[in-house]
Amino acid sequence: MKQDFIKFPLHLIFHPIDAFWDLKSDNRGRLLVAYATLALTIVMMILQKQYAGFLVNYIDPRTINSIIEIATVAVPFFLWCTANWAVTTLMEGEGKFREIVLATGYSLIPIILIYAPMIVISRFMVQEETAFYYLFNSIAFFWFVLLLFIGMMTVHQYTVIRTIITMVLTLIVMGIIVFLGALVFSMLQQLYEFGYNIYRELIFRT
Amino acid sequence: MARTVKRWLVLLAAVSLLLVNAVPAAASPAPYESYNYNYWKEAVPSPDAYLPERTISGRDLGISEFKDPGDVNVSPSGSIYILDSGNGRIVVLDPGFKLLRVIDGFMMEGIKETFNLPGGLFVDEEERIYVADTGNSRVVVLDGEGTLIQTITKPESDILSTQFQFQPLKLTVDHVGRVYVVAQGVYEGIMQFDESGKFIGYVGTNKVERDYGEYIWRMLSTKAQRAQMVLFVPTEFSNADIDHKGFVYATNIDPGSNEPIKRLNPSGEDVLKRFGYYDVKGDIRFRNNPGPSKLIDVKVLGNGMYSVLDATQNRVFTYDDEGHLLYIYGGKGNQVGTLKTPVAIEQSGEHHLVLDRGKNNLVVYEPTRFGARVNEAVALHYRGEDTEAVNIWREVLKLNANYDIAYIGIGKSLLMEKKNEEALGYFELGMDRKSYSVAFKRHRREMMKEHFGTFLTAAIALIVILILTRVAVKWRRRRQVDREAGFH
Repeated sequence: MKQDFIKFPLHLIFHPIDAFWDLKSDNRGRLLVAYATLALTIVMMILQKQYAGFLVNYIDPRTINSIIEIATVAVPFFLWCTANWAVTTLMEGEGKFREIVLATGYSLIPIILIYAPMIVISRFMVQEETAFYYLFNSIAFFWFVLLLFIGMMTVHQYTVIRTIITMVLTLIVMGIIVFLGALVFSMLQQLYEFGYNIYRELIFRT
Repeated sequence: MARTVKRWLVLLAAVSLLLVNAVPAAASPAPYESYNYNYWKEAVPSPDAYLPERTISGRDLGISEFKDPGDVNVSPSGSIYILDSGNGRIVVLDPGFKLLRVIDGFMMEGIKETFNLPGGLFVDEEERIYVADTGNSRVVVLDGEGTLIQTITKPESDILSTQFQFQPLKLTVDHVGRVYVVAQGVYEGIMQFDESGKFIGYVGTNKVERDYGEYIWRMLSTKAQRAQMVLFVPTEFSNADIDHKGFVYATNIDPGSNEPIKRLNPSGEDVLKRFGYYDVKGDIRFRNNPGPSKLIDVKVLGNGMYSVLDATQNRVFTYDDEGHLLYIYGGKGNQVGTLKTPVAIEQSGEHHLVLDRGKNNLVVYEPTRFGARVNEAVALHYRGEDTEAVNIWREVLKLNANYDIAYIGIGKSLLMEKKNEEALGYFELGMDRKSYSVAFKRHRREMMKEHFGTFLTAAIALIVILILTRVAVKWRRRRQVDREAGFH
């Protein structure tokens, strides 16, 4: 229990190349952990907007909306997983969808680990020290990107160049999915409007 | 007992209802809606700072109506000089808005000369009247009675081209008699003349805003195409005023500029403080239609404050010396207090005067309780008397709880009194991160000094406990191992 849920994730972020391989080959990854990291990342984002110190918090408190926060993290997460799966299936990637979700989820761990203390520390910072806050936040972000990169590379058994290409393609496919989604949504809405208008006509005529 | 209480409660409720209805919510006597910008750059309603008191037209003064009046100036002694351009005359009023005299010309070399569409005037401490006589390409200097002292005509200088047309529009004069002239078609800056009327040079040039898209386009074009393109020339100044230290405040009407107001030091550099949340440029948010503010006049009010007149929405914006927007009043319209074509703003005592060319009258605004209190507090703050300012800021907050500058003002005063923790709250309300940081630094140091001993004791105790538990655990484990081995 402790081994799977605490020790392995912590081991993973410091030794990603070995650990992602273990995650794939020895079946060490747990989907529960991946979803928990996703949930905790969302919580961290919300906490940061709400409780980060005044000197670093430029968020208008009236615009904080937890539903939107959830959407801005969870939607790209699943979009990434879907798009990546779609791209890598065509590009001879060896990763299964489950492994993609695992790798993406586990990559988010540094964000949680760095954001949590930084939110607390930022409340005790003065202006000159806020540089550290931004520094650590960027470290968290780059760490996440690096882990995601290594994760993708290991899970799909790609070369470096191929990983970069697939990741860029994934981003493009994400855009395409959003576009198609919007298209379908607007068409559905128009269909509904059309049906509703016919219904209204009928009601008025009778 | 319960019954009496109940009865009293009902009575109280009824009375409170009556009282609520007695005061209508929107009782503002102003024909415009006053507002100010908050930290998030939203226009939020604000109490009126100035209300129109009366208007003065030519008929009110018992003379013929004004015709296209161009400028107004109040002399240090308080007389109000209105430049009635269309009629080519200067109307002089006393501080109580009673007509003193009308100057409609002057004697020069025995011939009576008149003004031809003069654009601006200025009156100095010795009641000398400087008139930018635009149509006659000269600046006329008269004494208080209207007798000619000198004229400044087209300057002779190596740096001026021979085709140069000298058409002075607006002018201002410093206390040693140097004349600063804003002239038509002069992009090099404000023309500066010495007290004898000799051209010294230019001060303060507006920078050309570089448009990179246009720049690339220009590189790709042929010479013939380039010749037909618009030239990138700096914008002209629209008006100038001078403060008691001799700094020239100037406005330009460049629509894209974020620095349309300049405070020029004697060597012509812009030294305006811009410490507010947003640019010092009038309206910062506008629907696409009216566009950015077109600032056509500036008036230095004293105590570091200055007002600018916007010709897009016909409003007056007042700033303090640090570039905080204090209040906005005025607007478009035909009522008393709204403006049709404003051309100049002046200050007479506590009153603000705005000259309206469209309606040919002078609008007199008087400060409300809110406006007067703000002015008072800003003045005290400017003089460094922050402790006295606090009470006034508190009163301002009662009139407008959204007034960020008041929160910052109180915070700064608390900071001076070393009440750092209380100051923190005020700075947070005023969204002043810089001052908040200063206050927090001091507060943190104090807390550390106070609690360092406790902290250290706790830390040492914690370490000792940790070591002890570790030892205990180890000892226990060894014991267990020993037992399993059969030593006990």
